[in-house]
Amino acid sequence: MAVAEQHRGAIAPSVRAENDTLELVKRVANLLLRGVLYAIISLIFLVPFIWMIFGSLRRETEIFQYLFPLNWHTFFPIEWTLQHYEDIFGISDAGKRAGLNFGRNLLNSFIVSTGVVISSLVFNTMGAYFFARLKFPKKNWLLAFVLVTLFVPFEVTMVPLYIVVRYLNIQNTYWAMIVPWFASPFVIFALIQYFRDIPYDLDEAALIDGASYLHVLRTIIVPLAVPGLVTVSLLEFQFIWNLFYWPLIVVQDADIQVLQVVISSQTTQEQTFWGRTFAGSALASVPVIVIFLALQRYYVRGVASTGIKG
Amino acid sequence: MATVTTAAPSAQQSTATRRIFNWRTRQMLLAFLFILPAIINFTVFRYIPIAASIRASFYEYSLLRGLGDFIGFDAYIRMASDDTFWKSLQVTSLFVLYKVPLQIVLSLALAVFLTRETFGAGIVRSAILTPMVTSVIVASIIWAMMYHSQQGLIQSILGVFGIPRQTFLSDASRALPAVTVMMIWKDLGFSFIILLAGLKAIPATYYEAALVDGANAWEAFRRVTIPLLMPVLMFVVVTQAVFSFQVFVPVYQMTRGGPLDATKVLVYYIYQQGFRFQDMGYASALSVVALIIMIVISYLLMRWLRPQT
Repeated sequence: MAVAEQHRGAIAPSVRAENDTLELVKRVANLLLRGVLYAIISLIFLVPFIWMIFGSLRRETEIFQYLFPLNWHTFFPIEWTLQHYEDIFGISDAGKRAGLNFGRNLLNSFIVSTGVVISSLVFNTMGAYFFARLKFPKKNWLLAFVLVTLFVPFEVTMVPLYIVVRYLNIQNTYWAMIVPWFASPFVIFALIQYFRDIPYDLDEAALIDGASYLHVLRTIIVPLAVPGLVTVSLLEFQFIWNLFYWPLIVVQDADIQVLQVVISSQTTQEQTFWGRTFAGSALASVPVIVIFLALQRYYVRGVASTGIKG
Repeated sequence: MATVTTAAPSAQQSTATRRIFNWRTRQMLLAFLFILPAIINFTVFRYIPIAASIRASFYEYSLLRGLGDFIGFDAYIRMASDDTFWKSLQVTSLFVLYKVPLQIVLSLALAVFLTRETFGAGIVRSAILTPMVTSVIVASIIWAMMYHSQQGLIQSILGVFGIPRQTFLSDASRALPAVTVMMIWKDLGFSFIILLAGLKAIPATYYEAALVDGANAWEAFRRVTIPLLMPVLMFVVVTQAVFSFQVFVPVYQMTRGGPLDATKVLVYYIYQQGFRFQDMGYASALSVVALIIMIVISYLLMRWLRPQT
């Protein structure tokens, strides 16, 4: 008994130490594997952007020069230059000769996107307030009328929408790019959920005190629903900013055309100006990427909630 | 006397009810003003377009000459014998069948892998979401350059493994898979965050219970994760199938439907008929058919994927 006890006492620490090292090696290996996988996954999603952004900042010939074999300079410029940006903004002579004026198109994209976000905030907030709070006979029928449009496929209805916009004679204007989107079934649906989380006692008390619906909406509902409003504005901005098919067919005038369409028409003629194409693409995507990274929390919640609630 | 006393209150009452009624009507009208702009928008820009395109599909209708003669079902009859239309349906279905299952499996694997809040997981999640916030057109432009048969970045990456230059977008058998890969890369973030949120909503106690019962990780995944994630998975599959069926931009930018119609998807064909060949009547008929197909698909998918409980 005593021998066994002693024996056990003698052997246990070394086994434990061996187990500990094994455990440590396992954990380190696991951590390393995880780190390598993280790096590979991130690279798969980011490499096209890295290639685009650095490619826009180097001389045209350099883009092709270091392609084989794949090395650090395949991506990273040796000689930095803003030439391509000067070209696309029409600052340099080459850019002027090519008739490029992406500054104008960038402004158009901003005008259209903010126009839609502002009008959509006003009208969708009103609509969602109606469904979440106000009394109206057969309100469910109206809700169905709104939500059915959620299931109307988007790209397929561009030709039909064009027929109507042409009939209204607003094709080839800013209006054509803004007006069809001033109300959105998705935004109304999302805002109804946010408004329902606000306690009804608050607006009931105000209504009893004689406040109007508009007053209640402005002073009670909107201030309490700010996170929700930020989320839907962000999604709406991104949606409109990235729209391509609709402005492509509805606007012919280069002066009011948005950036997404102009960069496409620059590339489809001849894929010779890679630097300019990179610069234009960076211009069209970096603003939304920056906004997204800054407000990622709202964004993720917005998209995730469509799956959980819907 | 008796009649007067009874009549007076009732008259009073009726004016009171009328006043209440008026007040109610007023409130109702005020309430209606809140929803009116949205109703107008959906009527003019969602419902009327569909009605207008159904009507246009029965007429000769070119962009240049406007609405012409009534032709009845001619456009639909023409469609039945239009080989390019059938080919476009086939291409679109292939695209959806390649893309959706692969995208869902990949995003589920990534979501499971990145659920735990370890160091760096946040950065990887942001990386996965970045393509989603960029436009399809930018993604298509950059990927077309990466696929370039001479100077594409992918040629350089293949070179590392000793593989010679390959053609992608100009090869009829590779163009559609190439477009599909790019679109999976682009859309993966969407299914990824929704599945991630779904995974995080599953209570940890369920897994603990499974472990107590002696289940291994795979069994726990199959018997706990999948069933509980089913509604979210269903949502992702249906929305992605519907989105993917409408693919247009990458085809427009990368291949123009070619080579040999190998990537001519339905929406691109509609665009071509309407805006290249100026045949709005036929484009409308095609849109109507596409709309019906999509409604049927989403209905069937929702029925088929509904958990049997």
